Amino acid sequence: MEATEIHQAFIEILEGVVLPSSAQLDQIKKSLTPNSELACVIYPRTQTELNQAIALASKHQIPILTSDSDLNWGGLVDFPTMGIGVNSSHLNQLIDHAVGDLTVTCEAGIKFKDLQNILAKSGQFLAIDPAYAETATIGEIVNTANTNSFRQRYGGIRDMLLGISFVRADGELVKAGGRVVKNVAGYDLMKLMTGAYGTLGIISQVTFRLYPLPQSDRTVIITGKADAINVARAKILTSTLTPWSMDIISQGILIKLGINAEIGLIIRFGGLNQGVDEQISRLAAIAQALNLEIKALTGNKTWQDMQNLFWQSDPAIICKIGTLPNLAVTNLLKISSKTPSVALQIHASSGLGILKYESSNISIADIQQIRNLLVSTGGFLTVLEAPINFKQQFDIWGYAGNATGIMSALKQKFDPQNILNPHRFI
Amino acid sequence: MLTIPKPQTINWQPIIKEFEAILGKNNVVRTREDLVAYECDGLTSYKQQPALVVLPRSTQEVSQVLKVCDRYSIPFVARGAGTGLSGGALPIANCVLIVTALMKQILEVDLENQRVIVQPGVINNWVTQAVSGAGFYYAPDPSSQIICSIGGNIAENSGGVHCLKYGVTTNHVLGLKVVLPNGEIIDVGGKIPEMPGYDLTGLFVGSEGTLGITTEITLKILKTPEAVHVLLADFESVDAAASTVSDIISAGIIPAGMEMMDNMSINAVEDTIASGCYPRDAVVILLIELDGLEVDVEECSRQVEAIARNNGARDITTAIAPEHRLKLWKGRKAAFAAMGKLSPDYYVQDGVIPRTKLPLVLAEIEELGNKYGYKVANVFHAGDGNLHPLILYDNSQKGALEQVELLGGEILKLCVRVGGSISGEHGIGADKKCYMPEMFTDADLETMQWVREVFDQKNLANPGKVLPSPRTCGEGAKPSHHQLLEIPRF
Repeated sequence: MEATEIHQAFIEILEGVVLPSSAQLDQIKKSLTPNSELACVIYPRTQTELNQAIALASKHQIPILTSDSDLNWGGLVDFPTMGIGVNSSHLNQLIDHAVGDLTVTCEAGIKFKDLQNILAKSGQFLAIDPAYAETATIGEIVNTANTNSFRQRYGGIRDMLLGISFVRADGELVKAGGRVVKNVAGYDLMKLMTGAYGTLGIISQVTFRLYPLPQSDRTVIITGKADAINVARAKILTSTLTPWSMDIISQGILIKLGINAEIGLIIRFGGLNQGVDEQISRLAAIAQALNLEIKALTGNKTWQDMQNLFWQSDPAIICKIGTLPNLAVTNLLKISSKTPSVALQIHASSGLGILKYESSNISIADIQQIRNLLVSTGGFLTVLEAPINFKQQFDIWGYAGNATGIMSALKQKFDPQNILNPHRFI
Repeated sequence: MLTIPKPQTINWQPIIKEFEAILGKNNVVRTREDLVAYECDGLTSYKQQPALVVLPRSTQEVSQVLKVCDRYSIPFVARGAGTGLSGGALPIANCVLIVTALMKQILEVDLENQRVIVQPGVINNWVTQAVSGAGFYYAPDPSSQIICSIGGNIAENSGGVHCLKYGVTTNHVLGLKVVLPNGEIIDVGGKIPEMPGYDLTGLFVGSEGTLGITTEITLKILKTPEAVHVLLADFESVDAAASTVSDIISAGIIPAGMEMMDNMSINAVEDTIASGCYPRDAVVILLIELDGLEVDVEECSRQVEAIARNNGARDITTAIAPEHRLKLWKGRKAAFAAMGKLSPDYYVQDGVIPRTKLPLVLAEIEELGNKYGYKVANVFHAGDGNLHPLILYDNSQKGALEQVELLGGEILKLCVRVGGSISGEHGIGADKKCYMPEMFTDADLETMQWVREVFDQKNLANPGKVLPSPRTCGEGAKPSHHQLLEIPRF
C-alpha cells in the first residue's frame, strides 16, 4: 500500500494518526534501516483501538515499528514495504494500585516516572531503575528488560512482572499470569515477552509486584587498588550485608564523578535506619582492613549523575554486557586498559553491566574483541545504542547459543507475516 | 487443539530392545508388579500404569530415549520424585514414563559466583546441604523438600513457605540444559541472567513437562541470613489475623514467611504431635518468620509484635534459638499429614487470592463446605495469599470424591472471582486443566498452545496436561473425574 492509502486506512479507525514531524522522524529513524519508509505514526488511546489497528496492519501486512520515547535499543527494524509507527504513550491509564497487596496494574504507555510518582504517595515503589527514567514507558521497559543497579536486591524486570496483556500480530488481545504475587497457572508468557523487544506482540497492560519505600536510603563509594577492590567485592558478597545495589565502576565513571581512582565500588543500602547504619559501619570495617577509601554520599545525586553519564550525551556506542561475577573486576580492567575513558558499570552479583564509549570512533573490531573476551569466559555483549551504520554492519545481539531454532520458530508462530518490529531481534 | 495420541497398536518389543540398548536392562522397567510404584504421583486418587518406565542417567541417554519416542510417536511423561499434587507426572495409557531418579549428581558448586549446577533428580534440600557449610542456602522450600526433586520443582515452578520474600523457583533458576521432545539438546540461559535471546529459561520453568525434559539446572544460592526470629501469634478471629498480615506488609516489613492455620488444623496438629505450642482454643494462629541482619530482625520483630497486639493477638511467642524455631515450625510442617487424625482422606486444594481478600474468602470457603457437607481445614501461606484448603472426606463412601472435587472446583472459581489464580504452586497438571478457562480466554489458551506446538510438534510431551482439550473439557470447568474418564480412580 502507498503511504497515503495507509494513512487514510488508519484515520478511518482511530483518531490518533499523525504524519510525523521532522523531529519525530529524526527520532524514529534511529530505529529503522535507512531504506525503510514510514507512512504515519498511530497513537491508540484505548485497548480496542490498539487491537483494531494491529488487526488492520495484519490484514494488509503493514510492518510495524513500536516506539514510545527516545529509547531506541535493539537491531534496526527493516520494513520490506511501507510501514507504520505504533506509539503507546496515549494508552497510559493506571488500572489498579492494590496498595494492600503491593501490586499495580497499568497500561503499557504510562511513563515510568509518572507511575513511580503515583506509587510514592502510598509509600511504595516499583523496584526498577531504568535507563531513560524520565521518558521511557512501562511497555518499553518490559520490552527491553530495562533496569539497572536495583537488580542486586530485586532481580530483573522478569522477576517483578506478575501478569501481562498483549496484542498479537493478528490483532487478538491475549493475557498471561494474573494480578496476584504467586501464580503458576499456564505458561509464563511474562518472561517470554520481557526483553523480546516487541517482536512477539505489542504489550498493552502489565501487573507488577511492588515494594515499600525504605525508611533510610544511603550510598557509599569505595575506591583504591584493584586487587583490594576485588577482595572487598568478594567479602561483601559473602557477608551478611544486604545491599540494594552494588556496582563495580570504571575509572572513566569515577573521573566524571570527581573521584580520582582506577576502580570503585558504589553500594546502596535501603531499609530501617538502624540496619542501614549498621551495614555501613560493617562495610567501613571491610574497606579499612583493605586500605580502601570509603566515602559516604549525600542523597541519590550520584546515581542520577551516573544515569546521565550513560544516557544523556551525544551519540555513542552503548552495550549491555554480562560477565561471571568473579571475573568482573578483571574484565573491567582489561576493557578500560585499552580505553581509559570508557564508562563501565557492572552489577556485582549478577555480572550484568553497561559499557559506553563516548567516541563513535571505536571500531567494530574493538567491540568484537571485547565480545570475544566476555564470551570466552561465559559472558556476552549486546549493542544497545550505536550509529546506524554500525548497527548495520555488526551482529548486535551476539547470541552464541544453540536455541536459535526454537527462538525463530516462536517468532514464526507468533508473527507469521513478520510485521512486528521485523529484524529487530530474531 | 491437543489430542492424546493413541499408540495402542504399537509393537513394544523392538522399542524395549532399543531402550535396553541405550540404558541397560536394569533401567527399563516393564513388569506389571514393578510398574505399580509409578502409577500415580502425589495426586493419589488417580492411577494409571505406563507401558514402560525408563531410568536414564545422563543428558545423552534422555536425548536417545526421546529420539526413540519421537521415531515411534510414543507419548512420554517425565517424573521426578513423584510428589507433585496436580497429577503432572500421572502416566497416561501407553506412555513411556521417564524417571529422573538416577540423575542425582550435583555437577558443580561455584561458591564464588553463588551458582550450583545439578541434575534433575537431585533432591531439593541436598542443594542447601551441599552449600550450607560455606554459609549459603537454596531458597525455594516446598514442604516436600526432603523428598521432592529439583527437576520436579522446575516443572511445577514450586514455591514454599519462604517465597514471600525470596520468590519461587523461577526466580532462582539461571540456566537449563533441555532435551526437546524430538531429542535435540539445547542450552538456555547460563550462569549469568538475561543472556541474549528470548528468555526460554523463564518460559520453560513451570511448563509442567510439556516442553521437554531438563537435564542440567543452574541455580542461584543465597547467603544464610545472620539472624532469624519466628513469631507465633494467636487470634480470636480470622479478621484480626488477616489485618495483622496486611498491616505487617503495609509497614514495609516483608517477612521470609507468614503462615496461617485455622482451629481445625491446630487441633489436628496438637492431636498428632502434641507440640504444646499451638493454643487449641485459638481461632487462627499466624507464624511469622523474619530474617536478615540482627539489628533489623530485632526491630522488625518488635514492630510485628506491636502490630499483632494492636489487632488483638492474645499471646505472642518469639523463637530465636534454632531448636525453638524448629519446634514452632514443626506443627505447620506436619499439618497436612495430621489431617489423617481427623478424617480417613483429605483433598488438598491450591488457589491464590489477593491477601486483602482473606477474611471474605475464608468465610465463603466455610459456607461452601457447609453447603456440600464437608469440613474444610485451612493451612496456608497467608503472606502471599496462597490458600491450601484441605477438604476432609471418606473415600470409601460412594460419590464422595466427586463431591469433594466439585467443592474444590467451587473454591477455585471463588479465587478467580476475587482476582486470584487457580494455582499458586502445585501446578495445573491433569487435575485442574478444565478450570483454565475460568482464568483464560480461548485466545489466551491458543497462544499458550502455540508455545507448546513450537516445542513439541508431535504432541508427545505429557499430552493432555495443563491446557484443556474440547474432548474432556468441552462443557467448561469440570473436576478431575470428568477429565480423567479413562483413568481408574482409587
